Amino acid sequence: MRWLIPFLVCLPLAVQGGEWHVDKKAQANRVEFTSEVVTFTFSGSTDKIDGFVYWEGEELFENKDQLHFEVDLATLDTGIGKRDRDMRQVLGTEKWPKAVYKGEFVEHTAMDTTVAAYRVKTKGTLALHGVERPLEVPGIIVMEEGRSKVEATFTLQLADYDIEAPSIAAFVKVGQEIVVEVSFYLKHVK
Amino acid sequence: MKISALWLGALGAILAPVLVAAQPSWQTSAPTEVRLELFRALKTANYPTTETLDQGDFHYEIAHRFLPTIDEGYEANFGFDGPANIRTALSYGLSDRLMMTLGRSSVLDNLDLQLQYRWLQFPSESRPLAVSLNGGIAWNTDIPGNIDRGAASADNFQYYGQLVVNALLLDKKLGVGLVPSYLYNSTIFSVDKQSTFTLGTYAQYYFNDMWGLWVEYSPTLSGYQGILIQNEGKRSHDSLSWGLSLDTGGHTFYIFATNNTRLSTAQYLVGAPDDAAPENWRLGFSITRHL
Repeated sequence: MRWLIPFLVCLPLAVQGGEWHVDKKAQANRVEFTSEVVTFTFSGSTDKIDGFVYWEGEELFENKDQLHFEVDLATLDTGIGKRDRDMRQVLGTEKWPKAVYKGEFVEHTAMDTTVAAYRVKTKGTLALHGVERPLEVPGIIVMEEGRSKVEATFTLQLADYDIEAPSIAAFVKVGQEIVVEVSFYLKHVK
Repeated sequence: MKISALWLGALGAILAPVLVAAQPSWQTSAPTEVRLELFRALKTANYPTTETLDQGDFHYEIAHRFLPTIDEGYEANFGFDGPANIRTALSYGLSDRLMMTLGRSSVLDNLDLQLQYRWLQFPSESRPLAVSLNGGIAWNTDIPGNIDRGAASADNFQYYGQLVVNALLLDKKLGVGLVPSYLYNSTIFSVDKQSTFTLGTYAQYYFNDMWGLWVEYSPTLSGYQGILIQNEGKRSHDSLSWGLSLDTGGHTFYIFATNNTRLSTAQYLVGAPDDAAPENWRLGFSITRHL
């Protein structure tokens, strides 16, 4: 049985993997949505994104990888207070205050050899307005010393989440398709 | 047995970090608390709601009170032929809780400057409640020629304060408001300074995102309720207004019947020039734009 002692002592090192949390102090965190309407573009943004990336093993996303990100919808700022209020009402933020995307990495490929940058593809579910639907999101992760930057762009259909397109001026409706761009930093915590 | 127990203890101690490490340590945080939004507009036709603008936002209002009665019928186009008393006002959000409004009403060319502060809020799933404070100064600049007084005379200024209490009831479809209001120098033509205490009350039922039905009733509880301008010849009366509201994403429209053709807060609080009998109802409307 003596052989078991060094094995058990070393076991935590073998599965340490990685855990990265959204660096909420990073100035450049940003989640932005844009809707193209016939006459103009309507957009809003927030820096209130939180969440984590986790995996086990020595290699990137080697084993048991998971990701979980959530956006505080009540903080979305369109530049006009009244429009923000209307948007909170349309999104039902009192009842569903956050949009939550959780899933896993299904692909990752190095972009080049000089920078630790990876093109990734994630697969999971997005919970928004009380509706949870599957979603695939491609993105880029640039690894730096102790932190990494995540960028991704994807589209949503408001109807998929039972969201009625709001009016942004009298009788002018926001488009059904919303483009979401996210850019934020993760910090290594384990 | 003792050795086995020791081994199990050691095994547990060594495995514990492994088991802990097998789960992410991240914890979700509480969502950001936002200001309670009870009414959809900054004011009903005549009284403030507890809502204030966000910092940097503008809000514009234009309102008419037609002087011919609805009872005059088609010949006066039910009042729309005019003439009318008119008010315009521009509000600005000094902070997310403090709002300033500068307005002008045509009766006595009344300029008014108001400050409204969002004071308290009590979130509740069934009966959310909020409280605001509103205070203002009104300057009547059109003084009749037979009054020996300059426009800048202190006697031409009126002052008022209002406590605004709003709540939502009936699954947040019914908004109710109480606005106890105090007015100093109720009529600028009185030799002695007069004051009026009026209890503004209102209720608004929201049928859906666009349409609502509302009513305001404003009994004067104590103080002056006499004439407002010279030669009126009769006392003022408690005000009653009722009508429809329409919200269209930034605009709010009110169209209604009222016995009170006065628009400035300092004049409205004194009361209506006629009683609230149906033959005295006039048409009025307000349009606001939140920018």
